Amino acid sequence: MEGVQILVDGFAISALYALGAVGFTLLFGVSGVLNLAHGGTLVVAAMIAWLVATGLHLGTATGALAGVLAGLAFAFATYAAVVRPIQRSRAIPREETEIFILTGTLLWGIMCQTALAYIFTTNPITVPALIGGVVPILGVRTPRNEILIALACWAVIGALWLLINRTRTGKTLLAASINPRGLTLLGFELSRVHLLVWAIYGVLAGFAGVLLATFLGASSDAVGPLTASAFSIVVLGGLGSVGGSLVAAYIVGYLETLTAYLVAPTLRSIPPLIILILVVYLRPQGLLGRR
Amino acid sequence: MSAARLEVRGLTKRFGGLVAVRDIGFSIQPGEILGLIGPNGSGKSTVMKLIMGIERPNAGSVRLNGAEIAGWPTHRIARAGIGIVFQHSRPLHRQTVLEHIKLALLPDSLLRLAADPAVEGKARAIASRVGLETVLGRHPGTLAFADLRRLELAKAIAREPSVVLVDEPFAGLTPSEVASFSELIRGFRAEGKAVLLVDHNVKSVAALVDRALAMYLGERIAEGTAETVMRDEQVRRVYLGGSIEAAARVSTGTDAASPLLAVEGVSVLYGKAQALDNVSITVREREFVSVVGLNGAGKTTLFNAVSGLVPYRGTIRFAERTLAGTSAAAIARAGIVQCPETRELFGEMSVAENLELGGAHLTNAARTEQLAWLLDLFPILAERARQNAATLSGGEQQMLAIARALMMRPRLLILDEPTLGLAPVILEQLSKALARLHTTTEITVLLGEQNVTFALPHADRIYVLEHARIIWEGPPARFAAEAGAQYL
Amino acid sequence: MALPRFRLLQVSVLIVVIAALLPLWLSAYILGVLTTAYYFGVFAMSWDLLFGFAGEVNFGPTFLIGLGAYTAALIDNLLGWPIPFCVAAAALAALVGGLLLALPALRLRGPYFGLVTLVAVLLLQNVIVIFAHFTGGEIGMTVPDVLSVDAGTNYWIALAVLTISAVLLFGYSRSPLGLILQAAGQDPVEASSLGFNVAKHKLAAFSVSAVFSGVAGAMLIFYLGSASVDVVVDLAIAVQIIIAAVLGGRRTILGGVIGGVFLIAAGQVLLPLGQLSTFVVSAIALLVILFFPDGLLGHALRRSEQE
Repeated sequence: MEGVQILVDGFAISALYALGAVGFTLLFGVSGVLNLAHGGTLVVAAMIAWLVATGLHLGTATGALAGVLAGLAFAFATYAAVVRPIQRSRAIPREETEIFILTGTLLWGIMCQTALAYIFTTNPITVPALIGGVVPILGVRTPRNEILIALACWAVIGALWLLINRTRTGKTLLAASINPRGLTLLGFELSRVHLLVWAIYGVLAGFAGVLLATFLGASSDAVGPLTASAFSIVVLGGLGSVGGSLVAAYIVGYLETLTAYLVAPTLRSIPPLIILILVVYLRPQGLLGRR
Repeated sequence: MSAARLEVRGLTKRFGGLVAVRDIGFSIQPGEILGLIGPNGSGKSTVMKLIMGIERPNAGSVRLNGAEIAGWPTHRIARAGIGIVFQHSRPLHRQTVLEHIKLALLPDSLLRLAADPAVEGKARAIASRVGLETVLGRHPGTLAFADLRRLELAKAIAREPSVVLVDEPFAGLTPSEVASFSELIRGFRAEGKAVLLVDHNVKSVAALVDRALAMYLGERIAEGTAETVMRDEQVRRVYLGGSIEAAARVSTGTDAASPLLAVEGVSVLYGKAQALDNVSITVREREFVSVVGLNGAGKTTLFNAVSGLVPYRGTIRFAERTLAGTSAAAIARAGIVQCPETRELFGEMSVAENLELGGAHLTNAARTEQLAWLLDLFPILAERARQNAATLSGGEQQMLAIARALMMRPRLLILDEPTLGLAPVILEQLSKALARLHTTTEITVLLGEQNVTFALPHADRIYVLEHARIIWEGPPARFAAEAGAQYL
Repeated sequence: MALPRFRLLQVSVLIVVIAALLPLWLSAYILGVLTTAYYFGVFAMSWDLLFGFAGEVNFGPTFLIGLGAYTAALIDNLLGWPIPFCVAAAALAALVGGLLLALPALRLRGPYFGLVTLVAVLLLQNVIVIFAHFTGGEIGMTVPDVLSVDAGTNYWIALAVLTISAVLLFGYSRSPLGLILQAAGQDPVEASSLGFNVAKHKLAAFSVSAVFSGVAGAMLIFYLGSASVDVVVDLAIAVQIIIAAVLGGRRTILGGVIGGVFLIAAGQVLLPLGQLSTFVVSAIALLVILFFPDGLLGHALRRSEQE
């Protein structure tokens, strides 16, 4: 009984983690940016979805759409206000761009968190479920919404896979992650490729934020922890490897669920941290990392 | 033979499956200068790193005054008496020249909080010796390029090493600076130090070295005096591709008044090194122009300036439009397509996907047509269509790189060093493909080559680039007589 | 070259003297704010020694600070040792933590080492919460001993800790050892080719940074009278320390003091804004990073260098 419960809950949580992490890793793979305001993007989307759905009484579907658009807008704002100015700055030495982007996006995330706390308070919000009711799965009563979330996550990830592997635009992204200079020589403007990847990132993070708000709920305090968990999953899987992030999301999701059910809910975050440290020591490129 | 100062035997280094250095051995006596030469990728720099302990050898021995040092950590090797002058240095920004030299004189101890008072005097003495005495109080950011190199030299000799390794001693220096650096290096010989000079070609170090050892693809191909090595058949094949012969051919260049590409007085600085000095070349519509020069002469820099990849002074015009302010991608779309020395393939994508991306700006019909034509020109690519680019052989990768560039239907194709590291059989195939390209299409080609035999037969006109300057221009028929002798 | 250095000494002595006289005029409340700010200054300087000189990006300075703080608090509570012994134990615990961090730092590069330091903080935080029985968990633990109940005395102690740390850390950075460390941080290959054992010098820097962090962390909790995750371990504090150091100017050591005081003081000045004060402080820090990437002191130094 409990075993099935762990399987079902772990699957849904892991799917959500995977969706939250793929955008982050894609952004790193294509443009080399680790966006430490990632949690901010998720929570902004969640809050706007909640505001539109319950505050303005426009229903969950409209709220979800508004949330995704908010994620997109916030992603563009991050790029335009923080990342691009640092990349273009002449006062910042090339080899230090990375630390500046990390510090800059971190500050941007904190600004986002405090602004959200000011506007929406720090109370957790929950967007009403898209569909109600429960379905028994092997004797475990599972909310239909949980099943819908898991399916939605995989649908979006599947769509991303199709985009990257089956469309010309997607192949451009793949090429940019392998060899940006080669792409320039073929007449592609890298700045446009970067804009595109930020847009995809915004939509993915927006989706993840909205689904998170209907499942576990969200609050402005979650900005930091959400960034940290996405970062851990991505490093565990291998920076820039989308497949690695999916595997890592499931490892982390199930480890947490197992610990929560079998040991204690308060200890859920510890086993993934230990696994992470071991991986970073023994296989720094991550489970499926290329470099 | 008396006891050698530095003795290297059977040195071998593998990176994954690639053998970068195979069974290299030599010895240097006190007061002797050995030149280690080879083109890019020949493994000469790896040999230097192996001696210094920056890389660990897979096999072989390195003996300093008879003591085995292979596999030691770098700092112990340095303290045992080997100094190295790096080609690229990253000096500390907030410290003065004097402080940099003092740094090199400090003991490696955690307990010595104050420097020995004698250090100051020693540092000043070293500075005067290398010619830095007038800039002691300046920060590296304000120094001229030659002075930065002097600073590297000063640091390397501060600990009075008995063996000095110098990486590309003269890269980026003017002739008078070359003379003063040569004098310094001769000074090391006079002091009884053993010196190893690592360079692209014999020519630049010929006047200085007592002996030279030439490497190619990780292996030794010749050894002896500079003259013997320069005249060596295998060395000439590596650098020139065999004996120089010019095929008489009809020029296909139109005599239109304005050229397709006009490079006028272009100079490029890398940091402070002069990579291109006031270079002017023209390429007319449908012409095949070759720029020949040894590695490091500035060919790649010239092409990168044309492609908008490096900032430059001067003007570059394409089809009478100046290219300043146009992005590299826009230049490529306008019709100047470069197939770079490094190939820049998308290694983890298939051959077909690489070609597809090259034709991304064409209409569907045009892409299919162009692809069919290219697969006819390079049939091997059709067989390999599903394979990842990274799994192709060197020659196949080069063909893919050229084909991918041609997918863009360029008006001007820039080919940078297409023969680099390729076997003779492949060169022949490549040469035939170029000939066919030249006779059956309207394309204009600008080819950069070290391998003169490969560059000459196709060319309508030749430029010779040496030390960042154009030193000769003319038809291939006159090359052998006027420029060939002093080329290597 | 001698002139600016001489001027720096004069200016520093003057600032310390003025700072020492401040309790004559300022209220206990403002002194309290400055006391915290001074310990922050020590944290920021210790971080800059690792980042600016050893070239190691430590995203978790609070791992070392928290180790020191909680060691001192636990020993004071459980064994009842006098404060100086607790602080010494804190220094030792932080030193061990620093060496543990240094081991991966010597193997890993770039974001990976940064991640280890981040994870180290999260692990410490979790351990403190798990052993809530001893540590007070998320609520924190009070310490039976405090430095003093007088605001002025606490202020002077903090100023003394700051001054001594500044002299030692700045002295280290400007000594031959600092020069070697900087060379090792910038280009390890070249530094070792000059005969320097890069690992040894980096280990030394980690040890020094850890000891100062641990001592200042312990002193801070003996001033506050309690240790809690929110004050000495949380990642938000780690971020503030990094911001203080970058704001003041990387590779200057003393910039950390300016950045620390600025950050804490700005937080207090903006207190009427309530929750938005953090927003404004972060925004200012972001603007400084975008437009003056050398930081406040770094910018000033560069200008005087150019003159």
